[in-house]
Amino acid sequence: MNPVSILVAILQRDWAMMRRYIVNTVSSLVSIYIIFLFIFLGIKGLSSYAAIGALEGTLEGTVIGFFVWTFSVIAYSDLAWSLIVEAQAGTLEQLYLTPAGFKWVAGCTVISNLALNFVPVVLLLVVMMATTGQWLNLDFISLVPLLLITILGAYGFGFALGGLALVYKRLQAIFQVFQFVLIGFLVVPQRLPWAKFLPLSLGNSLIYDVMVDGVRLWELPTGSVLTALLVGAAYFAIGVVIFSVCENIAKDRGLLGHY
Amino acid sequence: MGAATTALDVKSLTKVFHERGNKSVKAVDSISFQVNQGEVLGLLGPNGAGKTTTIKCILGLMRPDTGEIRVFGENVEACYPRVLRNMSAVLEGSRNLYWRLTVWENILFFARLHGVTSREDKAHFENLIRLFSLEDKRNAEVRKLSQGMKQKTSIVCTLARRTPVVFLDEPTLGLDVETSLELRHVLKQLASEENRTIIVSSHNMDVIQDVCRRVIILSQGRIVADDHISDLVSLFKTKAYRIILLEPVPEGLEEALASRFKGATVTGDGRRTEVRVNLLENDDIYTLMDILRDRGAIIDEISNEETDLEKAFLEIVRRERNNHESS
Repeated sequence: MNPVSILVAILQRDWAMMRRYIVNTVSSLVSIYIIFLFIFLGIKGLSSYAAIGALEGTLEGTVIGFFVWTFSVIAYSDLAWSLIVEAQAGTLEQLYLTPAGFKWVAGCTVISNLALNFVPVVLLLVVMMATTGQWLNLDFISLVPLLLITILGAYGFGFALGGLALVYKRLQAIFQVFQFVLIGFLVVPQRLPWAKFLPLSLGNSLIYDVMVDGVRLWELPTGSVLTALLVGAAYFAIGVVIFSVCENIAKDRGLLGHY
Repeated sequence: MGAATTALDVKSLTKVFHERGNKSVKAVDSISFQVNQGEVLGLLGPNGAGKTTTIKCILGLMRPDTGEIRVFGENVEACYPRVLRNMSAVLEGSRNLYWRLTVWENILFFARLHGVTSREDKAHFENLIRLFSLEDKRNAEVRKLSQGMKQKTSIVCTLARRTPVVFLDEPTLGLDVETSLELRHVLKQLASEENRTIIVSSHNMDVIQDVCRRVIILSQGRIVADDHISDLVSLFKTKAYRIILLEPVPEGLEEALASRFKGATVTGDGRRTEVRVNLLENDDIYTLMDILRDRGAIIDEISNEETDLEKAFLEIVRRERNNHESS
C-alpha cells in the first residue's frame, strides 16, 4: 500500500471540499482576522499595555503570536473535528477500512490540512502586517521548519483530543476552551525556566527571532532548536499514544461508528 | 473440479458488550462458519441478532472477546490492517459517502485508499457506473441524488475497491421496489462474473432469497440455521398446511388442535373455517385428520402452504426463542 496514494486521495478530497465549502473557508479566515483586529485595537488603546512573555509589549509579538496560534488551532482542531464530523457523517468506518491503517489516513489528513491552509494563513499574515504596519521578515526557509517544529505539539493535542472524541463523541466545549489554553502557552515568558518544556512556547520564541530580528535558522542556538524539536516530538508522541489507547477502547466498546 | 478456496473462516467468535452496573450483553455467542470464494452468503436475523456486530468484528472495526477470523488464510488480528486489502463493506448505505463530493470523486477517493488507481481500474469504475445506471449522475454531488442513487453509489464505491470479499449490510435499505430489483440483478451478475465472495445482511427476505444460495440465520447472537436456502425452504414446505372447512368453527376443534399442534390457528367467518397448522412429524397428518373427523368437519380444500424463506426464517427464530425461554 502506497502512502502517497493515500495522501493524493486526501488532498484531492480536501481540495474539492474546500472549494465547495468556500463560504465556510473564507468566513473562518475573516473571523480570525476580526479577532485579530479586536486584539490589535485593544493593544493600541491600552497605552499601559504590559510586556508579557513572547509579546514583549510589541505589535510584532502580537502578529507572530497570532500567526502561530492560527496554525496551532488548525493543527489541533482539524483532526479532532474531522473525526467527529466523519463519525457523524458515517464515513469514519470506511476510512478505518483502509489497508494501510487509519493512522496513515489521519497523518495524511493532517498534512493535507496544513498544506491547504498554508497559503490562506500566510495571506492572512500579510493582511495582519498591513493592518499593523509592522512588516516582518518572511524567510520561509527558516520559518517553515520552525513552524512545523512548533506546531508538532499542537498535533499531539489534536491526536489526543481526536482519540477522546472517538470514545466520548461530544467534545466541542473542550475544543473551545483549548483555543485559549494555546494562547496561554504562547504568552508564557521564556525567562521562566520551565517555559521551554511547554508546547508551542519555545518554538514561538524562535519564530519571533526569525521574523523580527531576521535571524536565519542555522544562526539560532542549536540547543534551543533541538529542545523545541524534542518537546514538540514528545507532545506529539504522547498524543499518538493517547489516540491509540482511545482507539482500542472504541473498538472494544464498538463505538467507532457511533455519533 | 478442484476444492473450493475458503475465503472466510470464522471460529468461535464471541463479542460481549459491557454495560453500566456490571451488566453485559452477549451480542455474538461463539459462532463459527466458513464461506467459500465466489459464494454469496445471506446473513439473516431479527434486530439485535448480532449480524452487524459479526461483520464489524470480521472487518476489525470491533474487537472480539474470543475467536479467530481468517480471510484467505490470514489471521485478521495478526495481519491487521493489511488484511483489509481483501475486504470492503457497505455499512450504513448512503452515510458511507461524502455528500459534497460527486459520485466520481467518491469512487476515486475510496478506491485510492485501497491503492486501486490504474487505468484498467478506472475502466472498471466506468463499468460499475454503467451497471448501476449512474452515467447521468457521474459528476453530480451526492447530496443532490435520490436515496436510491446514494445507496447505489455507496455500493459502487465499495465494489470499486476490487476486494475479493465484499460485505453488504442492508444494501436495499430505503430503496424502492424497482431499484431493489435492479440491485439484485447486478449483485447476481457480479458474483457470477467476478467470482467475488459476497456476504449480504438484510431484513429483506426477497433480496436474500434472490441473490444468495446459502443463508446463516442468527438469533440472540447464535447461529440457529446454516443451510442452502432451497433446503431450508423445503424443510418447512412439506409440513405447513391450510385446510378450509365448509362450516362454522366446529366445537372443540381449536382446543384439540392447540393441545396437539403448537401455533395452530383456527379462524372462521360464520360460514367457512380456515385452519393453519404446522406438522412436525411425518405421521402428524394422520393425527390431524383424526381430529377433524372426530369433530365431523367437512373438508372443502386442503393444501400445502407456499413456504418461502420468510416463513422458514420466522419459524426458525420462533422455535429458537421458545427453546431459549424454556431453558
